[in-house]
Amino acid sequence: MSSAALSLREKETIERTFYPADHYSNQKFGFLEPFKAIKVLFQDIYAYREYLKQSVARDLRKQYKRSYLGYFWSMLNPLMMMIILAVVFSSIMRQNIEDYAVFLFTGMITFAYFGGTNSQSLGTIRANAKIIDQVPVPKYIFPLSIAFSNMATFLFSLVPLVLVMLVLGREIPITILAMPIIIVPLFIATVGTALMLASANVFFEDTAHLTEVVLRGLYFLTPILYSRDQLPDWLMDYIIFNPMFCLVEFMRDIVYYGKLPEFSIYMNHFAGCILLLVFGLYVFRRSENKFIYFL
Amino acid sequence: MSTSALKDRTNVDPRTAVAPQDNPIALSAKNISVQFRSYKKRPSTFKESLIQSVKSRTFRHYSNFQALDDVSFDISKGKVFGIIGSNGAGKSTLLRVLSGVLPPTAGTVTVRGSLDSLIQLGAGFDTELNAIENIYLNGSLHGKSREEIAETIPSIIDFAELGDFATTPIKYYSSGMYARLGFSVAVDRDPDILIVDEILAVGDERFQEKSSDTFKQFLDRKKTVIMVSHNLKMLEDTADTIALLSKGKVAFLGNPSEAVETYRNSDYQTALS
Repeated sequence: MSSAALSLREKETIERTFYPADHYSNQKFGFLEPFKAIKVLFQDIYAYREYLKQSVARDLRKQYKRSYLGYFWSMLNPLMMMIILAVVFSSIMRQNIEDYAVFLFTGMITFAYFGGTNSQSLGTIRANAKIIDQVPVPKYIFPLSIAFSNMATFLFSLVPLVLVMLVLGREIPITILAMPIIIVPLFIATVGTALMLASANVFFEDTAHLTEVVLRGLYFLTPILYSRDQLPDWLMDYIIFNPMFCLVEFMRDIVYYGKLPEFSIYMNHFAGCILLLVFGLYVFRRSENKFIYFL
Repeated sequence: MSTSALKDRTNVDPRTAVAPQDNPIALSAKNISVQFRSYKKRPSTFKESLIQSVKSRTFRHYSNFQALDDVSFDISKGKVFGIIGSNGAGKSTLLRVLSGVLPPTAGTVTVRGSLDSLIQLGAGFDTELNAIENIYLNGSLHGKSREEIAETIPSIIDFAELGDFATTPIKYYSSGMYARLGFSVAVDRDPDILIVDEILAVGDERFQEKSSDTFKQFLDRKKTVIMVSHNLKMLEDTADTIALLSKGKVAFLGNPSEAVETYRNSDYQTALS
């Protein structure tokens, strides 16, 4: 068999080396390293696709098991939340935005993906300590499986979004088909931060509390409940530090305003998301071999 | 392959470089050391570690415990390698390093061929799931595809003698059934290198016979086996080489009967004192 025909797993069984725990920390960080790390990430996602599939299915089943409406909760839950917030903000807080429910919901589900994935991946390394102690696996498959199951929830919640748009008599813009160009950077950026947080939480258990506070802060600093022109000018200089700002805006562009995001801003932001992923991978790979000593 | 590419692979000596498949060494351990930190009280949060480091004016609030110290050996393909030593000598730590779950603090392990360990049976089982679901879960953790796993299911269930219980969540299993399933799952993967930690006594007498038969088949088919046991007689008979561990160091490496002799005659038995 030629070596090209072998999968990553099969190649590994021919010869592999277990390196010391600080191997990656002592290595020089070469120029090509980020590209290699991303390549290995995708190879591992492919190699462990069966585990990821199973654990996404298990997550979804667990979430809605034994509930009368089953999977409908994944659509009903955000729908009811949206109705409450839309009523509160349009009639009590007097937000003057046309079809506020749609406006609000697009921002909400985008941020919910980011927040949900990050806060749930925090504990994954500790939760899977038994597996890590017994089976040699690349440890990022645990936070990754959370990222995938939240992606399923995100996709489910697009259904009530479209429903509400129909009910309100809004035209469904054709640009909504460009959803994948939002999903990809959203996934990349979220995995990047989730990897950082998951490894930090192994060493410091209070990462969870800090994350909660930071996520709450980011939620209000992202134009979800309000539109971006309601932000004061001095804050606009710092939005670059909020990875969700542009993603929520892009999402709103294609769903609410019916236009494509501006190309140059989009490309800049995409590069930023990749940078976040590379940094997350770097942090995670440096520390993952030390996890077992702290679990 | 260019010469620089050869040099990059730290574990290949360019003079003796052969294709990994043809290399007669199945597993080689080079200068493995494992150092655990033993904390009096480990700071588990960022806040605590800040407070502790301010209080003691140092970032170190632990002492080191050397579980393994500069352990090196090569195991040829098709040989049985035994490890003996008293409690606390580092046998289990060594097995965890060799199976790849515990990265050593120094040194490297090079493995040629697929490797599986029977250290703790039922590794990575989810007690909420039934046997078949657990076989899928366990297979997927080893990077197998759905089809590959599906093929193995009948033989595993059959070997473990689970019968109708295959669809019962394993939290309702007796400890014997659980162990049988764990043993069958690990054995069914049919690895090139098998790591065994004194677990051949699984299930009732009949199953024990069956499992030791399977184990003999492994030996007959010239698989590489690494095993830890306190049954010195058995080890002396089956092993080709024995390493005697004492306080994390290799005290003796070589002929089985000499190794057992050395172990019996010396005070290695009380390594912890």
